[in-house]
Amino acid sequence: MEPAAFNQEFLSEYAANVDEMFARCVQNAPNFAVTDVRFKASVNKSLLRFAAATPSPPTREEVLEFLSLLQADDLFIALACADGNERAWWEFDQNYRGYLERLARHLAKTDVDAQDVIDCVYVELYGTRFVDGERVSKFATYSGRGSLRGWLRTVIWHTLVDLHRASHDDVSLDEMTENAGEGAVHASFANQVSAGDSEAVEQIARDRYRTATSRSIEAAFSGLEDHEKLLLLYYHVEQLKLREIARLVENEESPLRRWFQRKVQSRSDNATGRIHESTVMRWLDKSYAKVLQLFRSELESTHDLTVAEIEICMGLVTEDLGGRDLFQNLTVG
Amino acid sequence: MDNTKRSSIEEQKIQSLLEAFLLSRKSLKSSAAETSFHVDEDFLSAFTEGNLSQRESMPIVSHLATCGFCRHKTAELVRLDVAFRSDEENTRTVPSAEPHRISDVLSGLLAKIFGNADGAVFAHSEKESGDDDSKDVGGSASAEVKENNEQE
Repeated sequence: MEPAAFNQEFLSEYAANVDEMFARCVQNAPNFAVTDVRFKASVNKSLLRFAAATPSPPTREEVLEFLSLLQADDLFIALACADGNERAWWEFDQNYRGYLERLARHLAKTDVDAQDVIDCVYVELYGTRFVDGERVSKFATYSGRGSLRGWLRTVIWHTLVDLHRASHDDVSLDEMTENAGEGAVHASFANQVSAGDSEAVEQIARDRYRTATSRSIEAAFSGLEDHEKLLLLYYHVEQLKLREIARLVENEESPLRRWFQRKVQSRSDNATGRIHESTVMRWLDKSYAKVLQLFRSELESTHDLTVAEIEICMGLVTEDLGGRDLFQNLTVG
Repeated sequence: MDNTKRSSIEEQKIQSLLEAFLLSRKSLKSSAAETSFHVDEDFLSAFTEGNLSQRESMPIVSHLATCGFCRHKTAELVRLDVAFRSDEENTRTVPSAEPHRISDVLSGLLAKIFGNADGAVFAHSEKESGDDDSKDVGGSASAEVKENNEQE
């Protein structure tokens, strides 16, 4: 079946569900003047994107779950604001301005006025750019997958980053997460000068164990599932606190939560309700245990180290972490 | 040294080693996955709220595990969310008063766009003849406001 024909058939299967969503939204906000054509176009676009997320088509249950997760009322007001509806803008301002102002004051530093941020956000949301005679509002990019408040947090954060970048010559966010610190990593490496033959031999042995250690930890991390990697990266690299990770997985439908609750089956795990920090720590501990197992296995199988040599590597871990020269030859895998 | 204690010490060591490895990895040049594609704001905010289905979230999780740029954004959003936790639980109230004919919201907004009060007044005034083909913000905004006025 041609993709266009498949899409039409797919959408028509759920047309009644979308109609029902629209009817509820109109009942809740009758003055927003959002047409059914407009609403359905937005939802159908999201539906098709959802269907295309993986090669196999979604099941009916998956589609119904997707539709149930859509924040329909938030989408409705966003569409109305994108159209310039006065009533919608008035309600948006009443319900969200205070929140945006508090966010802006929390994020903005002294050189970027919080009010400037709000003004920029409002102008962007309203839209001053025209394409083919139509005003382009930022609201048009909101699809209703997450809450409008959550989406606004993203918008205001981005606006602040852009304003800050424009007013400073500091390292940009892109550079912060890419190349910054590369020189520092290499600069921290200190050449070890050998004072004699026996020490040279010992140094060669230690270098061999160091190389095996660094490559094995790299391989061990690569051997983890993506959810495990992400949890470890959030904790160690992004430095999220346990309660912040717990917040990330608070929603029962959270993909990270569902994955870990399936993998780390425990009677004390709360299948519903808030996730405790101790639960997140337990997930981390399980991940560390897996890394340790993979690490040891890698040292033994790939680097042919004996049990005694593996213990030497474990001992070197404590010694070498201060200088951080262990990963001088690391490559991105 | 019993096995439990030894295991605990080993896990502490591996935790330290893992952290050093991940922090070193972060400072290296980004991989192709980081630079060629980034997740849009809509998906990122939905992910941090746990509102993506299992089907949609799998490729996102895989991407976040390799893209420091997008992952950092989600981390910042989570921090913001925790900082403003109480706002999420406030009940939204819809004020009962009807908006004015020319709302304060749009007036203030258009004043900011046009830069002065006169510009805002111009935008709110009835469109004069001969301005139909104007594609600039002022012309289109005045047409839009006129349309809104006609609808009332």
